[in-house]
Amino acid sequence: MTVHPTDDLGALALGALDAEEARAVRAHVAGCESCAVELRALEEAAFAVAETAERDAPDRLRTKIVERARREGPQRRAPPSSFPGQFRRPVPLAIPLALAVLLAISLATYAGAQRDRDRYASALSGIAGARVIALAPTGEVPGVRGSLVIPASGAAPYLILDLPAAPSGKTWEAWVLRGETPLAAGITNDRGVTTLVLTAPLVSGDGVAVTLEPSGGVDRVTGAPVLAGKT
Amino acid sequence: MSRVAGGDADALGELYDHYGRVVFGVIYRMLGSPESAEEVAQNAFHSVWRQARAYRPERGSVRTWLLAIARNAAIDWRRSKGNRAGRETAIDETLLLVDERRVEDTVIASLRAQRVRAAVASLPREQREVLSLAFWSGLSQTEIASRTGAPLGTVKSRVRLGMARLREWLGDDEVRR
Repeated sequence: MTVHPTDDLGALALGALDAEEARAVRAHVAGCESCAVELRALEEAAFAVAETAERDAPDRLRTKIVERARREGPQRRAPPSSFPGQFRRPVPLAIPLALAVLLAISLATYAGAQRDRDRYASALSGIAGARVIALAPTGEVPGVRGSLVIPASGAAPYLILDLPAAPSGKTWEAWVLRGETPLAAGITNDRGVTTLVLTAPLVSGDGVAVTLEPSGGVDRVTGAPVLAGKT
Repeated sequence: MSRVAGGDADALGELYDHYGRVVFGVIYRMLGSPESAEEVAQNAFHSVWRQARAYRPERGSVRTWLLAIARNAAIDWRRSKGNRAGRETAIDETLLLVDERRVEDTVIASLRAQRVRAAVASLPREQREVLSLAFWSGLSQTEIASRTGAPLGTVKSRVRLGMARLREWLGDDEVRR
């Protein structure tokens, strides 16, 4: 019988759970519709409190925000879609091959990462109704951990990551690797334990990797994988 | 949001017109400095610009999504600066928040803010305190227990009961935009 973390949902909505607790509860919520509905209501209630803080901002702030967006242009990540072919991008042959080689190397070290995977899997034990695939650390960045979660409900696959702070000017970017084509699948600047919903479609047999890329994300892989796995 | 996700900077400006006051206000209350709040609010909207395509309507309202980004940006900024003084200021202001004798006139002008204030004020003081420390100061339940000297189980119970009460009062469509 599934045990629902009902008592912890309010604390999660407030951001008041410790990292390990939050990871376990979020993992459960990702595969549990009733808890997801309850969490959403609690989050709406928690952030309703923000209404009491409304305050006039300096007039120049709006101009700064809009001009910065214009200057940098639209984000470059792939948007989410259920149409796999839509986001394939032509990429130089050398880059996906290099990534594929590094992916192969990282998978070869998979056995060595087994202990971490087991520990990580136990931390993810709150997940219900989903397939969990541990991603192997490549050794590029020490202390990085991650797992791919594929909900049985058909909801979008996501990564649970444990990340150090990205270096200045860099962001963590996820990739879906299909054949020789890496598909940009989302970015995060979070550190510590976080989740990242894959914005590129994932099918059986695809690889998944995480790299460090320039801030804002890129369409074509430039960094070496720090985590990698295969569905 | 779809226009922002499509790269329309004017749409980002319209989003700011709608939510800028509450975003700036939340950050200001958390940091206690208008200069810092301006910098962090700009960064928060920049994150919105970059992450707009990751927004999922089925996971919550735009307002809550945006405020979560703003709140996290303020917490990160405070941690990166080691701004202890800002944290203390935020806590003091927060505790005054539910004291009806000190309500700011500009806040009273908002019917929704009044309703929220009434909901918060209806909570027992110990529940208000833990919710305030969690929301405005970004403290975990463990940190709150350490800070207040209350047993962790007691803190968890207060958070659970307080959030259940707030959800009963505020977790419906009437308070959402």
